[in-house]
Amino acid sequence: MAIRFLAAALLVATLAGSGLAAEAARPPTVKTPAPPGPPRVSVTLLSETGSIEPGASFWVGIRQRIAPGWHTYWTNPGDSGEPPTVDWALPAGWEAGPLVFPQPERLPVGPLMSYGYTSEVVLLTRLTAPAGLPTGTPVTLRGRAAWLVCEKICIPEEADVTLTLPVVAGRPAPGAGAPAIQRTRRTVPTPSPWPASLRATPETVTVSVATPGLEPDRIAEVSFFPDRWGVIDHAAAQEVTIDRAGIALRAARGLLPEGPGSDLGGVLVIREKLDQGEVSQAFVIKAVAAGSGPSLSLVAAMGLALAGGLILNLMPCVLPVLSIKALALVGHAETSRGIVRRHGLAYTAGVLACFAALAGVLLALRAGGAQIGWGFQLQSPLVVTVLAYVLFTLALSLSGLLLIGGSLSGVGHGLAAQPGYAGSFFTGALATVAATPCTAPFMGAAVGYALTQPPATALAVFEALGLGLALPFLALSLVPAWRRLLPRPGPWMRRLSQALAFPLYASVAWLVWVVSRQAGPDGVALVLVGLLLIAFGAWLRHAARGAAPRWRRAGSGIALVSAAAAIALAPLAAASPPAASPTGASAGAAWEPFSPGRLAELRAQGKPVFVNFTAAWCITCLVNERVALRSPAVAEVFSRKGVVYLKADWTSRSAEIASILGSFGRSGVPLYVVYPSRAARTTTPQPRVLPQILTEGTIIEAIEKETL
Amino acid sequence: MTPELIGRRSFLARTGTGLVLAGASSVLLPPRSAWAAPAKVGEPAPGFTVNATNGSPVGLSSYKGKIVVLEWTNHDCPYVRKHYETGNMQSLQRDATAQGVVWLTVISSSEGTQGYVTPPQADELTTSRKAAPTAVLLDTKGTAGKLYGATNTPHMYVVDKGGVLVYAGAIDDRPTSRRADVQGANNYVKAALDAVAAGQPVKTPVTRAYGCTVKYS
Repeated sequence: MAIRFLAAALLVATLAGSGLAAEAARPPTVKTPAPPGPPRVSVTLLSETGSIEPGASFWVGIRQRIAPGWHTYWTNPGDSGEPPTVDWALPAGWEAGPLVFPQPERLPVGPLMSYGYTSEVVLLTRLTAPAGLPTGTPVTLRGRAAWLVCEKICIPEEADVTLTLPVVAGRPAPGAGAPAIQRTRRTVPTPSPWPASLRATPETVTVSVATPGLEPDRIAEVSFFPDRWGVIDHAAAQEVTIDRAGIALRAARGLLPEGPGSDLGGVLVIREKLDQGEVSQAFVIKAVAAGSGPSLSLVAAMGLALAGGLILNLMPCVLPVLSIKALALVGHAETSRGIVRRHGLAYTAGVLACFAALAGVLLALRAGGAQIGWGFQLQSPLVVTVLAYVLFTLALSLSGLLLIGGSLSGVGHGLAAQPGYAGSFFTGALATVAATPCTAPFMGAAVGYALTQPPATALAVFEALGLGLALPFLALSLVPAWRRLLPRPGPWMRRLSQALAFPLYASVAWLVWVVSRQAGPDGVALVLVGLLLIAFGAWLRHAARGAAPRWRRAGSGIALVSAAAAIALAPLAAASPPAASPTGASAGAAWEPFSPGRLAELRAQGKPVFVNFTAAWCITCLVNERVALRSPAVAEVFSRKGVVYLKADWTSRSAEIASILGSFGRSGVPLYVVYPSRAARTTTPQPRVLPQILTEGTIIEAIEKETL
Repeated sequence: MTPELIGRRSFLARTGTGLVLAGASSVLLPPRSAWAAPAKVGEPAPGFTVNATNGSPVGLSSYKGKIVVLEWTNHDCPYVRKHYETGNMQSLQRDATAQGVVWLTVISSSEGTQGYVTPPQADELTTSRKAAPTAVLLDTKGTAGKLYGATNTPHMYVVDKGGVLVYAGAIDDRPTSRRADVQGANNYVKAALDAVAAGQPVKTPVTRAYGCTVKYS
């Protein structure tokens, strides 16, 4: 830092010197219109906090107040211009982050285009104080800000900025700059949760952002600001199309002959028309070239899928299933080759059929506009619950408490004695089901590739994955020589299968945790009761085995009833709402289910209400919840402002909610509505609709505005 | 210009497909910015005729077979001043012209805007700044500027002996108005001239020009 400061100081001195010399050497005959006089931009250093806490980070901002008609520049200034810089001269031990720029504007200058700011902008930096900073002695933050300001002409300006703050242990109070900095932080582009892709032709560049299900009529304007020069023609109009798949933006290509290459970063600004006017939100996107860079050929993708499938066999949820089959082969190395081979093929067929079914569901859902990938099935608590049941049952069987019979696992049954090929087929299917919560190395790239391809190609990749999963057992069953490598049968087999139950129990524990995130404590309780019933049924069946036929029948009957009860619990568990966390520190804002009566009651009390109209199948809704609604900052503003958060779940398309959506001119979700507190407005408060794509900043700003 | 490119162009021209393609694509393509497709590096530099300060028309055709540098300028732009007040631009001009390179300084500022000068004022600037261009062209209507897609001052172009545009962009790799940044900067124009003189391809043929916007009307 000291060296940097010295360098900065030297630079400033040099500049000042050369500037003066130049002024003196100026030819007298040609008049210079660049006027002296007051600067076009005045800068102030603002701090979010009123004091400095040793070791803590805080935001500071350089506020530029820009004279009317003039503008300063964004990081990519466009066709001309220069972004502002700050050389910090902070005391030893301090750290300064990079300048963070709010969303820019398109500023046409004749036939050219600049990206920048007019009237006022705050450029943010995060500073970190050294941990050992002594309290009591104020610290002066110092920096040299330099910027180019242009109207028709351009003037480089610079100024020293300083701010002295006391050093106080403990959480600092908001500083004078807090409102401006917080306001700015809300307009800083946020990372986009949407995948973006890039397509270049010799003449054009198209950036596509997968924002499925947007209502095109409500989008007033979409503009893209590339983060580097030369890829697109800055001044050219950007052709925007919005359809089911999302937003596509086409622009004439820029001057760089090599084009965009493999990716293009930038900021996407979406302006949405709402009843109360327009809201503009900015997202950082990185458009990745389709069919260039690290993209795969079909063969490579299938190779990766095969490798991924092979590795899947080692995953804790799959390994036991595979082991069951492998154990069944032990001791049959020499005998019944044909039977063993047929079992291997049946198992493989089971795996492939199950993968085809999964891929089919996945592709069908994607064709319907859902942006989902591998693991989509775990988004449903019902599927997770059923998976937990299946794996638990399997684990019980490995523990020796439950003999599902050769039809399912084949443990303890010789293959020759029990040629149930259907059993092998279903074991294959079971292995696939057990594999679904897992992902293995190489799988991501392969599945990612598959999802961008036509269904036939995608299916081929998924089947390669399945083949990889089936391969170890298939190889064992086809090559007798390899079977000879298996150890001799013995009591170790029982121990091994008992030991292998534990990875399955661990998988069940993990699945229950997933349910806890999706369905809250009530859901977990129901799932655990379901597991208990399964265990009880298994024990009863086991215990009754040696008894008289009457008791055996009774035992089996009760076991069946308890299993059925467990299955009946699954949808109940899935339907439980997630935990309403009182503090909301990490779990996000607490909410309660929506009903028109509850809304009317709250409004009668004059309370501010936020209603989230959502549905489990609405991927936009889920993304909004993940990136914005569940953020701690939103939870904080809800609790501070006393906002009641209602969630209207339209998953089953109830007519009641549909009519409310209709009253807002919507035919679908997402829809976000803020009902102001009565005291915030003198007249009857009108509900305020938020954009379809939410950011933390948009919600907070709306809440701040509509409440007291 | 690479041989393949010439090959493709002449093929298109010969078969007439070029016209058809161009016709079809102009319907399908999104609009380019105001000045249509500017000169492209690797293709023949577009011809123009603009009056020099002495009143005589000057164009690329006047310098067939020679290497030509085009320098867009506006003497009051801080970025131009950076390179003139440090003597950087003048020494580049002197070195180039000494080797037989033609250096054309072009002013596209329209009347009443920053950088606009009358012919005597332009000559006076050349004298007082000890500049050494072959000629200073007054492109007040901006025709040459728009033909080349000149966006900034300074904005630099190099045309090789065969009339092909081989460099377009910034003067160097320090996009600031700080005079101190001239020292140690990688001068793209010098590199392009050296490469052309040595008969080699220009390593960095296109860069982002930096500076003030050209003051077109």
